[in-house]
Amino acid sequence: MEIDIKHIARLAYLKIDDNQVDKFESDMKDIIKMANNLPEINEIIEPNTNTSMPLREDKCVNGICSREELLINAPEIHSNYFVVPKTVG
Amino acid sequence: MKLYEKNAFELHEMLKSKQCSALEIITDVNKRISETDEKIEAYITLNKNSEIQAKEVDKIISSGERINYLAGIPIGIKDNISTKGILTTCSSRMLENYIPPFNATVIDKIKNAKMIITGKTNMDEFGMGSSTETSYMKLTHNPHNLDYVPGGSSGGSAAAVAAGEAIIALGSDTGGSIRQPASYCGVVGLKPSYGSVSRFGLIAYASSLEQIGPIGKCVKDVAMLYSVICGYDRFDATSQNIDYPDFYIGLKNNISGVRIGIPNEYFDNDIDDDLKEAVYNALKLFEKNGAKLKAISLPNTKYAINAYYIIASAEASSNLARYDGVKYGYRAAEYNGLSDMYTKTRTEGFGDEVKRRILLGTFVLSSDYYDDYYKRAKYVQNLISNEFSQAFLECDIIATPTVPSTAFKIGKKINDPIKMYSNDLCTVTANIAGLPAISIPCGYSGNTGLPYGLQLIGNKFEEQLLLNTAYSYETFCGGFDKVKKFKWEQIK
Repeated sequence: MEIDIKHIARLAYLKIDDNQVDKFESDMKDIIKMANNLPEINEIIEPNTNTSMPLREDKCVNGICSREELLINAPEIHSNYFVVPKTVG
Repeated sequence: MKLYEKNAFELHEMLKSKQCSALEIITDVNKRISETDEKIEAYITLNKNSEIQAKEVDKIISSGERINYLAGIPIGIKDNISTKGILTTCSSRMLENYIPPFNATVIDKIKNAKMIITGKTNMDEFGMGSSTETSYMKLTHNPHNLDYVPGGSSGGSAAAVAAGEAIIALGSDTGGSIRQPASYCGVVGLKPSYGSVSRFGLIAYASSLEQIGPIGKCVKDVAMLYSVICGYDRFDATSQNIDYPDFYIGLKNNISGVRIGIPNEYFDNDIDDDLKEAVYNALKLFEKNGAKLKAISLPNTKYAINAYYIIASAEASSNLARYDGVKYGYRAAEYNGLSDMYTKTRTEGFGDEVKRRILLGTFVLSSDYYDDYYKRAKYVQNLISNEFSQAFLECDIIATPTVPSTAFKIGKKINDPIKMYSNDLCTVTANIAGLPAISIPCGYSGNTGLPYGLQLIGNKFEEQLLLNTAYSYETFCGGFDKVKKFKWEQIK
């Protein structure tokens, strides 16, 4: 099957260099050939409802980190905002 | 005997009876790290406050305050577990300067138990790999033979414990990433039941498959550490709110009447002959001591690797979408607009194996192929889970080799993803079905002297029986040192 590596990479915000495309494509083809060995589905799959997942109250609570702590790892900040390239206008 | 050679439960007795102090233990372990880590390269970051923290623990011990079994015990932490104020990199360029502003729940628990963090251990990048060779940071070596891989992705943690550079360690297991390196390094590694250990603060790879788990030199130490880290956590929506007993206190080595299932699908021609013999000898030892062996069949095992890589990659592509250079982590130096910033950041920040899995995940979740791959993989997950449920009606424990062979030479498989993935064929089923599974040393290769691992799989939340069965083998074989070919002095 044809796998458009460049298209998939675009979807994932990755760029595969031209000199690497062949290797990635052939690795992907091998992996997909392996993954092709799956049985056909012959019954309806029900979602697994065995495990409980309780939700908390819809009430505002304090966060576990302060604003200062959360900004420490930012590549670029300005006046307590994360700075990114201009996206509008 | 040096302190770093001892088990945690022995050190606890020594601390209680004042034969040594917590400071002496961590000093000895730190000295060992300074002597051997240049060769082993298990650590990315060392905790420079470890000796100060040990002095605090000594004060608490001398005050007579009641302490956890593991108080004062040096523990290595895999570098995908968030440690507040300590670099947490996932062995990736993407997080090479990331310092978490919070602790993972398991870290809060080990700090409450007054354990001493030695440092953060090396791993395959974002947990993706079976050899620790995909790490962006460094290459870890197997303490049994430095030319060989320690396994992965928790290779740093397993190697640190095996080399005496930590008494115990935490790893994480998505498809075998605790059990396989434990097998390759001749130590004990437990992947707990899904939902029994909080994933809050574990940097996510495949959220429906992974668990943090303990690595140690003996079953007692692993049982102690598991008892500390397990438990309900409201910050993890998949955490199960059930009773978790003290698994160390409950440890027994009587397995009379325990039914051990042996699935033929895990013993095919890909398994080393020496390994088959080591596993069969272990099973005979169980039988001699009152267990009942039973041949069983798990036919859907043949689809397990395929289903695993589809599900894990799909989840990885979603979980790793957050790395965009905006709020934390690596950001490309030059870019032209926001989209280009995302693309350059991710392309430069991720290694090849991570990119391969993101691409595979993106592919199987894309609209044209969702039904062909992802849906079929989830169907197989149901089949495998149901098959185990059926099997556990007629047996209590399932025994298999952990990995088809011993550790392999560094560089041998890294360029062949399919060969690398096939390492996982015995381990992925426990992740797919959410079951607890442990690897224990059971022998070594006649050719290379490298260790073999026996895997025991238990029913969901039946860790006590699983640990008891492992502990029984440890007792019957006379201790794991008897089934390994390793000397502390051999690391040169």
